[in-house]
Amino acid sequence: MNGKKILIVDDDQQLVLGLTARLKANGYKVVCATDAISAITVARKEAPDLVILDIGLPAGDGFLVIERMRDLPDLVATPVIVLSARDPTDNKKRALDAGALAFFQKPLDNHEFLTAIRQAMGEAIALSAFLKT
Amino acid sequence: MNAEASGRVEASEFLPAAIPISSSHTASMDEIGSPELSPKLRADLLDLDAWGPILATYGRTMRVAVALTDDRGRVLGKCHNAQPVWMLVHGAAPVRRAGCPFCITTGPPCAAVDEALQTDTVVIVRDEAGLTHVAVPLLLGKRHLGAIIAGQVFDRYPETMSLRRIAKEFGVSAQELWNVARKQRPVGIAMLQASGDLLCALGHAFLQQRYGAILEAKLAAANGRFRLLIEGARDCALFTMDLTGRVTSWNGGAQRLLGYAEAEIVGQNFSCMYTAEDIQNRVPEKQLRKALQAGRAENEGWRVRSNREQFWGNVNITAMLEGAGPVGGCAIVMQDATERREIAVVLEESRQERTRLQEKLLSHVSHELRTPLTAIYLFTTNVLDGLLGDLNPEQREHLTFALDNVKQLKSMVSDLLEITRVETHKLTVEPQHVNPVKLIAEVLGTCLTNAAVKKVNLRSDVAPSLPFIWADPARVRQILTNLIDNGIKFTPADGTVTVASRPLVGNDDCLTLSISDTGCGIGPENRDIIFDRLAQIESATEASRSGLGLGLFISKELVSRHGGRIWVESQLGHGSTFFFTLPVFSLAKLCAPVFTAPNLEAGSVTLIAVDILPVAGAVQADIVSEIRKVLERCIHPAQDMLLPSMSDAEPVETFFLVACTDARGFNVIARRIGRELQTFDNSSKLKPIISSTTLLIAPSESSDMQVREITVRIEQLVQAHLLDKEPLK
Repeated sequence: MNGKKILIVDDDQQLVLGLTARLKANGYKVVCATDAISAITVARKEAPDLVILDIGLPAGDGFLVIERMRDLPDLVATPVIVLSARDPTDNKKRALDAGALAFFQKPLDNHEFLTAIRQAMGEAIALSAFLKT
Repeated sequence: MNAEASGRVEASEFLPAAIPISSSHTASMDEIGSPELSPKLRADLLDLDAWGPILATYGRTMRVAVALTDDRGRVLGKCHNAQPVWMLVHGAAPVRRAGCPFCITTGPPCAAVDEALQTDTVVIVRDEAGLTHVAVPLLLGKRHLGAIIAGQVFDRYPETMSLRRIAKEFGVSAQELWNVARKQRPVGIAMLQASGDLLCALGHAFLQQRYGAILEAKLAAANGRFRLLIEGARDCALFTMDLTGRVTSWNGGAQRLLGYAEAEIVGQNFSCMYTAEDIQNRVPEKQLRKALQAGRAENEGWRVRSNREQFWGNVNITAMLEGAGPVGGCAIVMQDATERREIAVVLEESRQERTRLQEKLLSHVSHELRTPLTAIYLFTTNVLDGLLGDLNPEQREHLTFALDNVKQLKSMVSDLLEITRVETHKLTVEPQHVNPVKLIAEVLGTCLTNAAVKKVNLRSDVAPSLPFIWADPARVRQILTNLIDNGIKFTPADGTVTVASRPLVGNDDCLTLSISDTGCGIGPENRDIIFDRLAQIESATEASRSGLGLGLFISKELVSRHGGRIWVESQLGHGSTFFFTLPVFSLAKLCAPVFTAPNLEAGSVTLIAVDILPVAGAVQADIVSEIRKVLERCIHPAQDMLLPSMSDAEPVETFFLVACTDARGFNVIARRIGRELQTFDNSSKLKPIISSTTLLIAPSESSDMQVREITVRIEQLVQAHLLDKEPLK
């Protein structure tokens, strides 16, 4: 257990449930938020090491969340990975320009996604350790 | 003397049986090649009603007989002022002799008319009775039209001997003939010559005048028809204007279309038919100038009627030439195209709307499918990976099937989205410097599971080293995966799917890869259609009929966006081989826009290496792409080039710039890069090392050779630099 904390922001409860199990199995602590406003509140309160962010959210959208985070000194450096069902053609660039580290389109691939999380947090742990297969 | 021949003298009376000169006459016409006068124009030019009074007056005044003939000497109409001796003889034996109608002769008739026409001179002839006549040619240009014969007079006192012979020959009383001849006053030969010349001038002048009158009448008729035509063009505004754009004529259609009456508009500038904005932008002047320069100008735009109402006008301006001289003005044809335009606009809007809706629907469907698919994927993999406890083999097997289906669905949803991109022209490729061997190995690795499930052998026959390609790795992966999965799908158990590379021939600029299977094959009739969207061949076994049939269509689109081509070779029952080509990476081609003659003339090319060393840890992938953006800002796009990453390792912290500059220029660029990177990395986590190598160009070589040598040298330097760096990692 490395104890790093990840915030999942997604209004799809089932996705949150499924992803939480996967992340916990890989040793992460998981907190979640289901809309754009609580995303910021939870992020400020929990100070996660990484945020997994959906774009289509109630009360705003993922882009807004990233922008808001970049304005807050305590969240400005927190890495963000976007996970959305939207077409990456335009959204990927927009997300990266806003300050996201990576853009993943749903459905994700566990292997690639966990690698990106690990990279984002600057961890250098062998891949095999992450995949409980 | 004044007695005229009673009644009309019919031309047929003088019709010669055969005149040999007529054929030579035709030949001479051919020789000069003048266009034939139409029989109608000939008849109009020699119209007896017009000629009659002239000839009658001449005959009376000059006291000679006179007649008009055609170009073969046949009298047209009557002989005016026929003289008594001739009348007496001809009255007795009118059809006795063929040939010249004036000649009284027992021998062959004179050929005065023909001679006059051939020589274009007045010919004087004296016949056996001692009577003289002149033949005056009527020519229009070089075209023989006819002649005037005048005479039937003695040019000296009549001879009794010859008259007596004629009387006997023609069956006339000698006494009577003598009495008549005695009373007929002779006309001296000089006088005859002079009157012949006068007649020639007169005839020529009259012919010209007649010709002019005929042309004028024709022109007037044509003008009348033209005017009727212009007036009759109801749906078209037809008008003319002078060089300054002032209206000079106006038809009924123009009045209907633009609302101005002819009296109102003539003299006004045509710019009054344009909108205020067009007038401000000097559109009317520009269009007029264009028409005057190019001879013609066509345009469409909003035009204004006299009541300020606007319509969409299609306007054709044609410069009018006056003969071979300068342009005299312009003719304008204007049509109301408002309705046509409205229809076109509506059609275009509906097309766009349809595309937009289709795009929206497909992206919505794709989005909506992805959300539940993600949940299924997550739960399936969670259980399968034992996150919720151990599984028995059967449970594991069933869940593996579920996961395979999820993956299949996922790829179908992705295909749907790709189709939307193709249709909305959003399917893009971002080419990079790619190692195809490595890429193929990666793809084969991901396809292994699928092949194993279907018990199909997956084989690689790819050369151990291939040239780098200039392609989008994600897209090439997609093409290869599509084709390999396709092969696996249509190959029965124990069959083989082989990925191979074709050896490069000479300096091929593209790499050919092939994917062959031992499946059912494709009939010749289907080889072209399989690349169409939603194509899947009927005969495919039911088991293979899975998927949307979009894979090959998408692959074709992707290959063509790389500038390559894709095709299939196959035989029914003997498997298929799909081939596709991708461009080989060429530094020379990539650098071509920078290595222009003026840039090369500067004499030196500098290769700049920028190594970014992190102060602690590794440089992250996203930082690398940000640094790329920073460096791109530092270069002059026409003179410098930031080379693509040319190493196998990703991400690479070394960047290369090619600059057409010398050592001094390098210092400027290096300072700029240092400054920009400092601004970017304000917390100083990165340490840039900027180094350079200057390549001097031998000026004697051709520019192609120069580029080739420079690029080879740059490639060597880059490889050496990267190798040099290897131990640092």
